Amino acid sequence: MGGMGGGIILIPALTLLGIDIKHAIAISILSVIATSSGSASAYARDHITNLKVGMFLEMFTIAGAIAGARITLASSPRPLYVIFGVVLLASWVALLMDKHPSGQKFTQQDAFTHWLELEGSYPDFVTAQTVEYKAGRAYLGAPLMFGAGIVSGLLGIGAGAVKVLIHDLVMGLPPKVSTTTSNLIIGVTALAGTSVYLAAGLINPGLAVPVILGVVAGAFLGTRLLVRLTNQAVRLFFLVILLVMAAEMITRGLQGI
Amino acid sequence: MSPSEPSTRIEPVREARQFEMDTVVGVVLRDGVLLSLGLIIIGLFWRWLRTGGLALDYQITGMNLFEFVTREVSLAVHGSVRPRLLINLGIAVLMLTPFIRVAVSMVYFLGVLRNWKYTCFTAIVLIVLTYSLFLR
Repeated sequence: MGGMGGGIILIPALTLLGIDIKHAIAISILSVIATSSGSASAYARDHITNLKVGMFLEMFTIAGAIAGARITLASSPRPLYVIFGVVLLASWVALLMDKHPSGQKFTQQDAFTHWLELEGSYPDFVTAQTVEYKAGRAYLGAPLMFGAGIVSGLLGIGAGAVKVLIHDLVMGLPPKVSTTTSNLIIGVTALAGTSVYLAAGLINPGLAVPVILGVVAGAFLGTRLLVRLTNQAVRLFFLVILLVMAAEMITRGLQGI
Repeated sequence: MSPSEPSTRIEPVREARQFEMDTVVGVVLRDGVLLSLGLIIIGLFWRWLRTGGLALDYQITGMNLFEFVTREVSLAVHGSVRPRLLINLGIAVLMLTPFIRVAVSMVYFLGVLRNWKYTCFTAIVLIVLTYSLFLR
């Protein structure tokens, strides 16, 4: 699902069916493990995913996810939905303004990112060429990914769009690499969150099983599609999704659930 | 012969191993999800054969993954094999899939790529995940 686990659509749907929001969040984050692992599998085997970028950033997202899930267990997250919606809206504007989202951002790396060996190449199936790239500003990406981890644990979503934005705009990864690597990170981040919710007794198999089966079916179709799209099409897709997400989150926070 | 000759010769080997690691990680993730879905679907089918319904009405209350798995396994050992066992194991396998992916990555960084920096990073991820799995 384009770097996203689908929790964004899933959680409102579950709450509309009358399921308590915390249970919906817990089940969503469990199903996110399935979708992101399924998608990440195909991308890794196609050698698009950057495992080093993934491993480095995962250190920060899992810590964030545990913290985020704890916050949800302890409090009512309503005001945070509004803040999240506003952040998404700001990110949407930033992505819209960016004139060269697929261009090579960093020809010269900073010392820290270079030390982290965050660079690579991937095969582009549309142009049939190998694209080389260097990432940058890992010192900025890392704390931001901790924040993305909090959002993920807090709201029970993969927070793929936020992760993709950090990869794209801060670290200068090509859109395909950022989307696929975000998928890899989401699986591990969701596991950290799921553990907290499982220990709290919020994972109900009767709800989780049908949700997992349904969501996986949809995600596998999305993966087959993304590999064949151009960077431009992927960007357009995210512009639409981000706007929908922002509107949804703000409305939810303001109206209360 | 330029002094950089040996490193340019090593580079393709390293790249090939990185390539191989991508594939292994991909296969671990795919097989983990497929095994998990398989267990859940077989469990559901079995339950449907036994009860004629698909609804699951039980709760997992306040257990971490470790307690959850050991309880199921001990129930199975004592002869009470239920469809629920397969479904619960399916959920456990799903949760362990990213965990095993990280463990496999660490083995690769340590044993094959000999990248100490990333062995440490991966170890940190593994330790935090292990901690989260034992949360109460």
